[in-house]
Amino acid sequence: MNALTFPSPRLSEKGERLRAEVREFLDGFEWPVDRDAATAFGGYDPQFSEALGARGWIGMGFPLEYGGGGYGLVERYVVLEELLAARAPITAHSVADRQSGFLLLRYGSERQRQEILPRIAAGKAYFCIGMSEPDSGSDLASVRTRANRVDGGWLVSGTKIWTTNAHRSHYMILFCRTAPAGETRHEGLSQFLVDMSTPGIVCRQITDIAGGKHFNEVHFQDVFLPDDAIIGTEGDGWNQVTSELAFERSGPERFLSHLRALEEFVRILKQHPSAEGTRVIGRMVSHLVTLRRMSRSVASMIADGKDPALHAALVKDLGTCFEQEIPEVLRLALQTEPDSDASNAYQAMLAHVILNSPSATIRGGTKEVLRSIVARGLGLR
Amino acid sequence: MLDDETREMLHQALAEIFADEPSDLWGSLQSTGVDKALVPENKGGIGVNWAMACELLEIAGNNAAAVPLAETMIGHWLIDLAGAHETDQPTIAFASTDAPVHLSRAGDTWRVEGTLRRVPWGSTATHVVFISDSPSPQLVVVDRQASGVSVTSGRNLAGDPRDDIRLEGVIPAEVAPAPFEPRSLLVIAAIARSALMAGALERALTLTVEYANMRVQFGRPIGKFQSIQQNVSVLATQAAAARAATEAGGEAIDEWLASEDESLFHSVAALSAKIRTGEAAGAGAAIAHQVFGAIGFTEELNLQLFTKHLWAWRDEFGNEAFWADELGRQILGEELETTLWRTLAPVGAGITLGESK
Repeated sequence: MNALTFPSPRLSEKGERLRAEVREFLDGFEWPVDRDAATAFGGYDPQFSEALGARGWIGMGFPLEYGGGGYGLVERYVVLEELLAARAPITAHSVADRQSGFLLLRYGSERQRQEILPRIAAGKAYFCIGMSEPDSGSDLASVRTRANRVDGGWLVSGTKIWTTNAHRSHYMILFCRTAPAGETRHEGLSQFLVDMSTPGIVCRQITDIAGGKHFNEVHFQDVFLPDDAIIGTEGDGWNQVTSELAFERSGPERFLSHLRALEEFVRILKQHPSAEGTRVIGRMVSHLVTLRRMSRSVASMIADGKDPALHAALVKDLGTCFEQEIPEVLRLALQTEPDSDASNAYQAMLAHVILNSPSATIRGGTKEVLRSIVARGLGLR
Repeated sequence: MLDDETREMLHQALAEIFADEPSDLWGSLQSTGVDKALVPENKGGIGVNWAMACELLEIAGNNAAAVPLAETMIGHWLIDLAGAHETDQPTIAFASTDAPVHLSRAGDTWRVEGTLRRVPWGSTATHVVFISDSPSPQLVVVDRQASGVSVTSGRNLAGDPRDDIRLEGVIPAEVAPAPFEPRSLLVIAAIARSALMAGALERALTLTVEYANMRVQFGRPIGKFQSIQQNVSVLATQAAAARAATEAGGEAIDEWLASEDESLFHSVAALSAKIRTGEAAGAGAAIAHQVFGAIGFTEELNLQLFTKHLWAWRDEFGNEAFWADELGRQILGEELETTLWRTLAPVGAGITLGESK
C-alpha cells in the first residue's frame, strides 16, 4: 500500500442518520458543568458514559453477542467525531471504547470477551493502559515490569507511569515482560487483563501542567494475577500491542481535541470580523477538512480489514501538529491574555489548549517515533 | 461513469508516453485524447469525471510536464458544456477584477475589450476561453489569430508560457451562455493546479528518498541519519495531505455539477484544495532541496523541474492567502448559531439520504 494513497472515505447512510441522532441527543443533554469552562475539557462522567452505552454508542463495531449494536467502524467514527466536536465528557469510557475492547475482541479469551465486552458497551467498564514506565517511554520494549509464573497464575512487580485514569478505571491492559529478551527484545513480552481492585496495586496521582488530575504512577508489588488474566498468547505481546497502537493513533481525537478553541474564535469573528482572522479561519479549515478526510480514510481501511499502521502514524503526526498550531495562530489573530479561570470562553479555551498542547505530540507515540515509522515505510533505512 | 478498465488504460498510456520522453510530448499526449478527457464519449471525448481528471493531472504533475494539459482539458470541457464549436487547442483565462475584460454587443455582433493577464500557454494556444459575467455569464471563445488580438510573452518560474493577451475590439469566435459563473471556473482551475502540485510533490518525495539512500556522508547513506528521516517523513506527510486535499477538491467539483448549487464557492472542500496543496508545495520543496544539498540547487539534476513548478503553480489561479480569504469569508457568512463543526460536517454530506430502512 502506497503511503501517500488514502482511499476516498467510505460514506454510510446509516452513519449519517446516526449523526443527526447524536446531535439531537447532545443538544438535549443537560450538561452537569459549564461546557465553556476550561475544566469541562476532557470530562470524566460515568453517568454520561452510561447514557451513551444505553443508546448503543459505545463498543460500536463489537459483534452483537458481545454487546455491539450492529454498527460498523464507519458508524463508530461518526459518533465519535460528533462527541469530540461537542467536547462531550467521554474520558471515562474512551480508552475501553477506542482500543481495549478491540484488543480483547481480537486476542482475548472467550471468557474475557463474554465477561467484559458487554460491560464496555454499556458504558460501565473503564480501562487504562499500562504501557509506559519511568524508564520506558518511546522505547517500549525496554519495560521492566515482570510477571513471574507461580502456582495458578502470575506475580507481577514493577511500576507503570503516565497511566491516564488508572485510579478510576476498572481494568488495566498491562504490558510487561514474562521472559527475558531473546534474539530480539520484542520476545518475552505479554499482555494481561488486570482487575484494578486486586490487592497490591497502588496508584499515586500526578498533576499535569494544565492542572489535570488524570495521570498516575501505578505500583505493582507481588500482585497475583490468575492464569486466565493473560491476553492472547504468552510472549506475543509485542505484536498485540503494535496492532493496538494502530487503533490508538488513527482516531479523530488526534485532530479534534482543540476544535472548541477554533469554534469560539469563529463565533467571535462572525460578530467582529477582521481580515487577519478571516484568513486564519480559511487556512485552519483547509487543514481540518483535509485531516478529517485522511482520518476517515484510515477508519475505512481498518473497517475493510486492512492494517494501515503507516497511514495512522502519518495522520497522527499531521493531526497533532495541527492541534499545536491552533493556539499559536489564534492568539496572534485575536489577542487576549489566556486565563483558565476567565468567564470569557475564548480566554479560558486558549489557556486550556496552550497548557495541554505539549501532550498532543507525545501521547500515543511521539512525533519523532511516528516519523521514524513513516521514514521506514518510505524505504529509508 | 468510467470503468476501471478505461482508467487503467489511461494511466498506462500516460505512463508509457512519459517513459518514452518523446520530442513532441504534447502531440503524443493529444494523440491519446487525454486533452479531451472531460468531454463525453459520444462527443469524441473520454467522459471522465473530475475525480478522474485530477488523477490524470497528478500524473502530468508527477512528470513536471511542460504542456497545457490542465488548460486544454478545461477549455474543451467548457466549450462542450456551452454547446460552442469545437476548437483545436483552447486555453483558459480568468478575467480578474483588477484587469476587467468587457463584453459588449451591438446588434448581432459581440466584441471584447481588455487584457487577459498571464494566460497559460496564451502564445501557443489556438483559442482562449473565458467566462464574462456581464450582463449574464457568457462563455467567450477568442481566436488568437483574430484581428485586434496581441500577445506579450512571459514565463512562469518553471519557464512555461504565461502570456498577456490584449484584446482591442476583438470579435470573438463564439459567445454562448456559460454553464456557470466565472468564479466557479477560477475554483476549478485552482483545483487543477492542486492536482498538478500533488503529482509534482510526490515525485519530489520519490527523488528525495532515492537520493538519501544513495548519497554517502560520514561513511553511511544520509538516509540513515535521524534528522534526515524526520524531515523526509514531514515531506511525505505534506505530499499525502496535498493529494488528499486535491482528491477532495476533484470530488467536490463532481458533487457540485450534480447539484443545483449555482456556485462552487459554496464547497468547503473545493476552496480548501489549493490552500492545503499550496502550503504543502512550499514546505515540501524546501525539505527536498535541503536533503539534496548543493547539487539539488543546480540545473544538473531534475529536482528543480519539480520544485520550480511547485513554486510557480502555487501562485497561479489564486495562492493560499487568496483562497484562505475566500474560504474564511464563506465560513463567516454562516449563521451565528451554526457551529463551525456543523458547517463543515453537515448531516448527509456526500450522500443522499433516502427513506429510513
